Amino acid sequence: MAYYIHYTDPNSEDMLRDLEQVPRCPGICFFMDINKSTDIKYQGGLKDWGRKLNNTFNNLLYANHFQYHVVKGIGDEMMLFIPEEVLQKKSSNNTCFALLEDIYAALFLIKNHPDQDLYLNCKVAIHYCTEAHNITFFEGADDYYGSDIDLTARLMSKSVENRIVLSEKFYVKVVNDLISMGLPIDTGCLSQVSERFIENFKGVPVSTAFRVIEVQ
Amino acid sequence: MELTEQITDQYVIIGITGRLDTTNYMALEKKLMDLIESHHDKILVDCLNMDYISSSGLRILLMALKKITLVKGRFVLCGLQENIHEIFEISGFTSIFEIHPSREDALKLI
Repeated sequence: MAYYIHYTDPNSEDMLRDLEQVPRCPGICFFMDINKSTDIKYQGGLKDWGRKLNNTFNNLLYANHFQYHVVKGIGDEMMLFIPEEVLQKKSSNNTCFALLEDIYAALFLIKNHPDQDLYLNCKVAIHYCTEAHNITFFEGADDYYGSDIDLTARLMSKSVENRIVLSEKFYVKVVNDLISMGLPIDTGCLSQVSERFIENFKGVPVSTAFRVIEVQ
Repeated sequence: MELTEQITDQYVIIGITGRLDTTNYMALEKKLMDLIESHHDKILVDCLNMDYISSSGLRILLMALKKITLVKGRFVLCGLQENIHEIFEISGFTSIFEIHPSREDALKLI
């Protein structure tokens, strides 16, 4: 459960003390965005738009139990966060490689479904966060803040329909998983991973390395 | 996950036991692709003992269906548990796969 930060005194010393004690929460943050849903909202109205959003969100979330990790949704975009300790405690599918494979597969299923009127294609950005804190300023809410959460959102600007953007930090975690499992580093969807790109993102003081995978 | 294989006059029957996820989908992928490449175009997958399937597992089934459809073969599923059926429904699989309640039902009708 998130640390709830709420003090009526703007100069509260207790607030500063509380904030100082909030631990880091390393984990994997990813954003999933549904493409073209705004266009459909205007063209087909609520019934068509709502149906496709329902179908697409369900398809993205339920087979992989991602629904338990949705932090928030804004329109057709979701932010998900899986604390590293939660991922590692899973009895199976408990690696960054497994997570990436399932995300890839979820996008693949939508892109390749024979009935193209059921779902909408998606784009994803994913990052391994060390600068993340499980805090909220709203009673009863769960949320994560930190510079790595901001960076994940920035990475979304490099994603397009049927593309996964992965930070180099996350890519290294995936490769390390493969090495520790004795598998080649081009296993699964990593056979399609791009070279490394470097970009300066707005508000991020250092350059960010990332790669992309186009869903086939 | 464990895979079994039974070859009859008409069909190759693949049985899946346990969880089908990222840790093992490659074994099913290899099995199905090997069968299709060796011109087995009628495949029945018995899911009675499969208790979980992730998107990675679903992806392999969709790939196999597409490949078999191209050669006008049949790719049939049977024995889905309730939780698996729900995932198939969400994924839009119930409208594109031929699914039977049990292996016996499938073999009678195909």
